[in-house]
Amino acid sequence: MSRGPLLGELAVLDDVGPPRRGRAYPAAGVGWALLTPAVLLLGGLLAWPVLRTMHASVTTDGRWVGDEHYRAALSAPGSAAVIGRTLLWALLVPAVVTVLGYLLAAASRRSQEGWLVRLILVVPTALPLVVTGVTFRLLYDPDPQRGLATLLLVRVTGRDPEQLPQLLGPGLVTVAVMSAFVWAWVGLAMLVFRAALDAVPSGLVDAVRAFGGNRRDVLWDAQWRPLLLRTVAVVFALVAVGTSRTFDLILVMTPGSVRDEAAVLSLRIWQTSGATTTGEGAALGVVWLVAVTAGMLVVALFVRQAWPPPQQPAGAAVTSPPPRRLVRLLAAGAAIAWLLPLGVLAATSLQSPVRAATGGWWSSPPGLDSYRAVLSGTELWRSLGFTLVLATVVTAAVLGVALLAAYPLAWLTGPAAQVTGLVLMAAVVVPVQVIAGPLNEVLGLTLSSGTARGVALVHIALGVPFAVLVLRNSFADLTAEQIRAARLGGRHWWGTLRRLARHNRTALVAVAVLEFVQVWNDLVVGLLFSGPDAAPLGLFLAGQTRGFVAGSGTLAAGCVLASILPVLVFVLARRQVVAGLVAGGVR
Amino acid sequence: MTGLGLRRRALLRAAAASTAAVAGVGGCGRGRRSLQVAVVWANDELIRFRKVVANYPTTVQVVGVGNDIDAFLTARRAAGTSPDVAILPRPGLVVAYARRGWLSELTPAASYTAPPGMTDLLSVNRRRYGVWIKAAHKSLFWHFPSMLDAEPPRTWDALVALTRRLGARHRVGAGPAPLAIGAADGWVLTDWFENVLADVAGVELYGALACGEASWEDQRVAYALDRLAELWSVDGAFPGGGRRALLTQFAESIIQVVHHRAATMVFGADFVDAVAAQFSQGTEPLATFRFPGARMVDRPLIVGGDAAVAFAGATGGAELVRWLSDATAFLPWLDAGGYLSPNLAVPVDSYRDPLRRRLAGELRAADTVQFDLSDQLPGTFTGTDGVGIWRIMQDFFMNVTDGMPARDAIRRATGQLAAAAEAARGGR
Repeated sequence: MSRGPLLGELAVLDDVGPPRRGRAYPAAGVGWALLTPAVLLLGGLLAWPVLRTMHASVTTDGRWVGDEHYRAALSAPGSAAVIGRTLLWALLVPAVVTVLGYLLAAASRRSQEGWLVRLILVVPTALPLVVTGVTFRLLYDPDPQRGLATLLLVRVTGRDPEQLPQLLGPGLVTVAVMSAFVWAWVGLAMLVFRAALDAVPSGLVDAVRAFGGNRRDVLWDAQWRPLLLRTVAVVFALVAVGTSRTFDLILVMTPGSVRDEAAVLSLRIWQTSGATTTGEGAALGVVWLVAVTAGMLVVALFVRQAWPPPQQPAGAAVTSPPPRRLVRLLAAGAAIAWLLPLGVLAATSLQSPVRAATGGWWSSPPGLDSYRAVLSGTELWRSLGFTLVLATVVTAAVLGVALLAAYPLAWLTGPAAQVTGLVLMAAVVVPVQVIAGPLNEVLGLTLSSGTARGVALVHIALGVPFAVLVLRNSFADLTAEQIRAARLGGRHWWGTLRRLARHNRTALVAVAVLEFVQVWNDLVVGLLFSGPDAAPLGLFLAGQTRGFVAGSGTLAAGCVLASILPVLVFVLARRQVVAGLVAGGVR
Repeated sequence: MTGLGLRRRALLRAAAASTAAVAGVGGCGRGRRSLQVAVVWANDELIRFRKVVANYPTTVQVVGVGNDIDAFLTARRAAGTSPDVAILPRPGLVVAYARRGWLSELTPAASYTAPPGMTDLLSVNRRRYGVWIKAAHKSLFWHFPSMLDAEPPRTWDALVALTRRLGARHRVGAGPAPLAIGAADGWVLTDWFENVLADVAGVELYGALACGEASWEDQRVAYALDRLAELWSVDGAFPGGGRRALLTQFAESIIQVVHHRAATMVFGADFVDAVAAQFSQGTEPLATFRFPGARMVDRPLIVGGDAAVAFAGATGGAELVRWLSDATAFLPWLDAGGYLSPNLAVPVDSYRDPLRRRLAGELRAADTVQFDLSDQLPGTFTGTDGVGIWRIMQDFFMNVTDGMPARDAIRRATGQLAAAAEAARGGR
């Protein structure tokens, strides 16, 4: 951290790469030993299930059937619509999130109240998607006595609710789910853009101005070309991969009658196969896998160049003028708009169970009855306790496995490094629904299917690739002096590793926080792999949405309680998370 | 049984076999003595069932595994850690597991007598693999007597006429809608359909449809759908119209009746009273009437239920099931109320609430007891949110309430039903 983060220098560094070989490199045997846990996990719980899925997509009971499953799956009613909708999600939603994220980052960047806006926008990022789904379903309830959005529509148009479009109805349900997703993800995009904008050397802006450039020239020459192009690609890819998480939202937000109108591939695969392996489900899974991997490769080629980590700002002198009033209004408006759903959730949780089910949260005074009802039962406590233990254990295991694996991998250079990076990236984007059936078979072999151990194993396997990626890059970014010092200080490779890990604290914190929040917020792994002794929080909350209106008070209270910890952790560690992400995750 | 077992996927079978062997060794070594029972129930129901098995001489561990018990048991089977006993919500599952050779044959207690329509559903090749533990009466309408200004309808035509009259009144804003319906939950619509179908199609066709031997394009299926279309398409039948009904879940439809009084009647199973008790305004008790059929007498009765099975190789599982099938085992449940036993040996007088006593009487008096059809259908046809017969009935509901001519809606629905049945048969 002693060096000035000059853009040019970093670019040069990346082109050549730090002198990685020959110093502190563990002996070949040790290297393999360090890689073993990660290889076993990824091989057994990701690679083999992927191969098994491919195998199942062209066979029935081990017999070759060619493209029969593909034809059956693709010709099933509604398949074209499902694929089209999945594509729409992968293109439209990232575009919206990217644009909004950039605008809000720019708008909130230099204004006085910017930190507040950013804080409000970041909170939804840390919420479990189950909670986001509950929040928006409350907001969009078709009954004007309960749903604020419907009430406003009725008031504004002055028409009978029967004649108004229903936000959760078959026509608009996808838009409704998308709006919830955008709400949840813009905060992350904004954080990344802010880090990128901060990393733009202000000297560059001054230079463009000095040559008589106007606002647009500044944007183009001093921001877009050197940095933003890549940031946009990275954010877009991040969100596009993230759209496979819509599964949680759809499951929670859509009543059964409109679920098909909102369905995307992940949901369709789950509906076809559940946690077993079926030919048609596998065929759909392979289609999806190929699309995701292809998209990932395109992005990887597009953003090959390294992304300069924003390790500043050492008193970054602000020379450019504060944003215009219109822009600041945009930021304030966004803050209010983003706060509103949170308010709806909190207000509903403060209604008694009966009141919440029969009237709007605005119609009666708040009370704590729903919280009392939730807290007096044992189930929430059990879920909270289980999820806390699960998230902690998984985070520790992922950190351990990834640290060991990242260390030898960081010393690879040239094609070997690129290939490892691509393989890890591919492992990051494998959707768990696709491999659920084979995964259950593997877990069956290790006697942990339907148990807490099984759930933890799946979480670890899904979390390791990303963690290795981030830590590997952050190891590789260490300076020569740091490595030399660690080499001299540590007597064995593990001493060196320990010393080096200390320099990577940001990346470690980022990985730990992201993994913890991810496991805490998970629904799909719990849904596919948990058993009676393993009832994670997401599953507990999602299970309550079966009688959504009747249980909305206690459900909202449970959601608030479930969100406290991830929000706290994420908000407190957001700087490290973004720095770690930017430095390591998105190469 | 082994022949069918051989058709399972080769890899999975190999995995299951090897792990089962390992588990067998490990299990003996650890010496697990308490019995494990997997159930779908949660909350109060689970607590009550724990009280039931507390009276059993051996320690019984009850695990509530949520709604997707099939996935759970399949995974456990693959891992070789099946519970000793499971209580399954669908007879289709019992048959499927029995065919795969997962279950052991059962002999119920001597006093156990289930209604004639139900016993056969748990047998494969004349061997009994399950006993009924719990029943649900699914042919009931609920209403407040003070809100219904006429006699409860006793025939289908009377129900349609009443709905038309109340619907016309509701349209001009002079009263509540006649019916509340939780069409967002597909099973509500399939329960409607089954009641009408059992009434107009007769026992043979109903049974043949359940086991996939009859065509869904049969005239009588279309006739049943036609009757539903006749009622559902009445203008003003539902509060907020058909589109709103499709976003209304079951519990909310009860709230519409008992709390908002926005609708007069709601069709639902006997567990409606649990929801109603929580949300009722006022002290007036809900009244019920039987789902009306074409005739005043000989109305079919649709029931649902949960069945207990014992897994093959489990020591003591079959004994526990036999103990559960005895009428005295369920006294704690009867004491708690809200429980309907499928066991006709349970004396009618032992029910606490008068409603359950009447329903138990109806269970004995019914000429034909038909089990919930959708629960017997194979594979994904059985329905869940957005899938199978649930989805088809919701499409049908949407079409007829949206003004599509009944003929077209019926043709579309029967086509979808036939296709889904065909796909489910292929998947077996």
